[in-house]
This record gives sequence, structure tokens and C-alpha cells, in this order.
Amino acid sequence: MSTENDGGLLRSALSSEQVDRTFDFCGRHAWTLIAVAAVAGALPPVFGLREGYYMTVLSEMFLFGVLALSWDIVGGQTGYPSFGNMAFFGIGAYVTAILVTDAALAFPLAIVGAAVVVVVFALINGLIVLRLRGHYFAIATLGILLATQQVSRNLAITGGASGKILLDVPPGIVFYYFFLGVLVAEIAVVYYLSQTRFGFVLNAIRDDEEKATAMGFNTTYYKTAAWVLAALFTGLAGGAYGLFNTFINPQTAYNGAWNVELIAMALMGGTGTVAGPVIGAFGLHTVIEVVETAFVGWQLVLLGIAVIVTVIGYPDGVVGTLREYASEMEYYEYGGMAAAEADDEPEVPADE
Amino acid sequence: MSDSTATPRAEAETVLRTDGITKRFGGLTAVDDVSVAVNEGEIVGLIGPNGAGKSTLFNCVTGRLTADEGAVFLQGEDVTRWPEYRIARAGLGRMFQETRVFGGMTVRKNLLLAAQEGGANVSGLLRRPDDSLRARTTELLEYVDLGGLATTQAGRLSFGQQKLLEFAMELMAEPDLLLMDEPAGGINPSMLENLIDYIQTANSEEEATIFLIEHNMEFVMEIADRIYVLAHGERIASGTPAEIQNDQRVLDAYLGRE
Repeated sequence: MSTENDGGLLRSALSSEQVDRTFDFCGRHAWTLIAVAAVAGALPPVFGLREGYYMTVLSEMFLFGVLALSWDIVGGQTGYPSFGNMAFFGIGAYVTAILVTDAALAFPLAIVGAAVVVVVFALINGLIVLRLRGHYFAIATLGILLATQQVSRNLAITGGASGKILLDVPPGIVFYYFFLGVLVAEIAVVYYLSQTRFGFVLNAIRDDEEKATAMGFNTTYYKTAAWVLAALFTGLAGGAYGLFNTFINPQTAYNGAWNVELIAMALMGGTGTVAGPVIGAFGLHTVIEVVETAFVGWQLVLLGIAVIVTVIGYPDGVVGTLREYASEMEYYEYGGMAAAEADDEPEVPADE
Repeated sequence: MSDSTATPRAEAETVLRTDGITKRFGGLTAVDDVSVAVNEGEIVGLIGPNGAGKSTLFNCVTGRLTADEGAVFLQGEDVTRWPEYRIARAGLGRMFQETRVFGGMTVRKNLLLAAQEGGANVSGLLRRPDDSLRARTTELLEYVDLGGLATTQAGRLSFGQQKLLEFAMELMAEPDLLLMDEPAGGINPSMLENLIDYIQTANSEEEATIFLIEHNMEFVMEIADRIYVLAHGERIASGTPAEIQNDQRVLDAYLGRE
């Protein structure tokens, strides 16, 4: 029903052929487009945007792009919706902060250390929680998030409930380019993987894990690899965020609202696609910023409404809906459902 | 090649052999001491009334379930306790009763995934599928009449088309042994004709070895070289289609006189 409505709306604006051609173009020139986007992202500071509100907003957009795309590697591509991704973020933030302050390491070294810790953490808990599916997996990952947050609150080295203040941090522009760099690198990695058999296996696990196993894939191995990859990028983002923000405590490092926002971003942009989560992150973060300035305190209400509307009306998100629309022509041309009517009566031998 | 006399065969020729497989679920013995053998190039049928243990036997062979007693040999190797994915990797293909394709992926990706080339090693997985593999997918789609639907999501195909796609995936994988669970179930008569044709062609030209469960007697009698009959978990008969059709125990089992 809803897809027909979208079709009606879309149809008046642009034909499915045009959309199809656009997808074709993007598919053929994906690497060029990624490079162009990277250069475009690098330009604002060159033209004088070096500090202030807009600089922060742009940095955060890149940051959320990383968070949403990381969630989607496991939640969208592999079909394991996690509610615990902020645990990786928080651990990345705390390990970096501790290494910078207590061990007096430089930021680049500290973030490498954080990445190692996050990867090991993800590897261990991934092998445990990835045995679960659906709701059980979601709840277990939420448990991981709450547990890590509690640990950070209780330990002395993390500064307990009051957190850590980080002085003497690099200037904002370093983080601007760091978040941009991580985002571009992640887009490139996810796009490349989506073209390989590894990416196909992740999608196969999402669609039918039992069948994938019956075809000879040790799904545990692939799920864990995806989980670790997602954790790595999320942890890198978290590691930089602590210093970018000059302060972390259990509330900011394991931000509950962000934990929901990053999922909403992936859903709205289109799960299981490369561009979708990034588009969703940029779009939703812009909306949230506008609402935060114009209607203080209402951003979560708006977020809730936006999620409900998306999930009901456009379950495939922006990119998914467009892709569906684009493939419509080919599908009917070659008689997609044409054989369906003839298949209605199952042939059960009654005479045996 | 497929004479049913009990002459001992060379091990290399036997693709699948089960040795007294028994599987119990609590107090129920679903499969009771069943031995079967499938030789290279054969099409072997497995029939029996509902609840006879056919699918359970298949599950024991594929490693989805582990047999309580007995052993499964694939190409002469004992695979009884191997995990399912490893048995599949060793050359066992499986088509499910309820037709399973990867609905969210395009038809072509379904096929590319099915190709066993490169196996599960890291370099093979992290490389893009090459052109010859893509050409093969196009060829197979033309063959099963799904040409032009390569970029359509597999989940949007009709049930019959999904069945054909699943079969094409097995042609892509070229397993040493293909297990089919009710391939004729739920598809219309004209498509059934096509499917019989595809299966026989695969068998004669690609030397595919097939072990299939089927309820459609006409279909199984036409296609199988040999047939095993299960009832109440036990193997009650085996032989050529002609022998099975005239076997009194088989008729009794189907009419419920046991």
C-alpha cells in the first residue's frame, strides 16, 4: 500500500527511468563520487571556515555519518540490529582520554591504542552475543552498553561519575579532518566490501542465515568480522570525540539519545545501502540542529515522530525506496509476478 | 551405471553412504537404523508417507542434525560430526522444501554467492567476482528462463521462479551431491515439466548426482534411477521404480496397513 503511495508522489516528480539511470551512474562512477565528496568535504576550512558553530555542526555530521554507517554494517547489511553500538564509542572515548591524560601519549598514538582495545572487546563479546538473533540480540547488546557505562562510572581511572576533563587538546580543525577522513575511509571500505563475496555473505545472513550455512558459509566468522569492523570505526569516532568535546563522563560517552539517533539515521536513509546511512545522518542531524535552536527541548519528540513516519511510510528509507522504484520498470517488463497466478494451486498428488 | 543389485562398489564411486543412521527425538525414533547409498551420476529418490523420517534423514546427512547412531560418508570420508557449513563446503548442495533464496539480494548476487570458486579463503572473499563468473550467471538465468531479471530482488520473484533460481544456484555451485527436498512441491504442471527437463539435463550432461525426497509419485517414478522407501523411520524397501511400484510393503505403508 505504502509503496504505491510513494510511487504516486514520486511519479509526478521524476520517472523511474530517471531514477534508474541515476543509480546506474552512481554505480559506475562510485569511486569518483566518493573522491569528489571527500574533496568537497575538505574544502570549507580552506575557504575560511576554521572554527565556530558551523564548524562544529559539520564535524558532528561526519561523526554521525560514521556512527550510522557502522551500525548499518551489522544492523542493516547483516540483519543484526544492535542497541549497544555506543558501548564501542564510549570505550574508544575513555581509552583515548586515559592514554592522553594518564599515560601522556600523543593523540594519534592514543587513538591507535583505543582502536586495539575496542577491537578486542568487540571480538570477545561478538562471539557471545552474535549467537542470538532478533530481539534477543538487541536486548543483549543493550545490556553490553549499560554494563560498560556502569563500569566507567565505578572505576577510579575513568573519573567515576564526574568523568574526565581534557585540557590541552588539538584545535577543532584536526577533528574536523579526522572525522571526515574516518567517514570517507569507512564509506570506501563498506562500498568495496558490498561488491565482494564477503559483502554478499553478510546480506545472505540477513536474508536467511540457515540457508547461508547450508551453502557452506561459517556464518559466525562473517558476523564477527562485521561486528569488529563496525566497532573499530565507532571506537575511532568515540576516541576523537572525547578530545573534541574536551570532556567526557558516562552520560556523554555512552549517550543514550545518540544510541537511538544513529539507528534512526540508518533507517531513514536506507539500511543495507552505503549511501543511505550517511544521507540519513546528514539529513537528520541537520533537522535536529535546526529544531534544537528553534524549538529548544523538542528535538526528541520530533525524532520520535520522524522515526514512526519513516518506519510506517518508507520502511526502506530514502535510498531503499528510490532503488525499489528504479527497479520497477525492469521487473514488470520481464513479467516479474506474471507467473504468480499460475502458481497458486500447489500440485499435491491426491491419488497416492 | 545404476543397477540396483547389491554388488559391492568401489568406494570412489559412492558419493554418499549412510551406515545405520538412527535419530531419536525424546522417545520417538524418527530415523531407525537407515542405510542408503548414492552413487556418482545417479538420481535416487526417497519416498515415504508423512512423518516417515525423510527430512530428518536429510538433516542428518547435511549436518543440520547429528545422528545418534551410525555414520555418514561423503566421498568416502566420515562427515558424521562435521558442522553443517563444512559438509556443504565439501561438496554437498541442498534445496529446501520451502524454497529458500536470499530475498533482499538481487537474482545475480544470489548466483554469484552460490559459486564455490575461491571457496572461503580470505583473498577469494575480498575480491570482486570476475567477468567469467558474471557471464556464467547470465547464461544460467537464460537457461532457466529468468533472463532479464538479474538485477531484480529475488524476494520479488514468484514461488515457481524462486524455485528455478534455487536450482540455478545449485547449477552454479556444482556440488558433488545435490539433496532436493520435494522439488515438485507447489509448482504448476508446466513448470514441473521444465524442472524435470532441467534435472535430467543436469544429470546427463553435467553428471550431477541427485538424492531427492518427493511426494509426487509420477514425478519420482519418471526421474529416479533407484528409490528408497521409508516408513516409521525404517527403510522398508529399495529398488528400481518398477520394483517399488509392485512392492506390497510399500503399498501397505502408503495405505496405512501396518
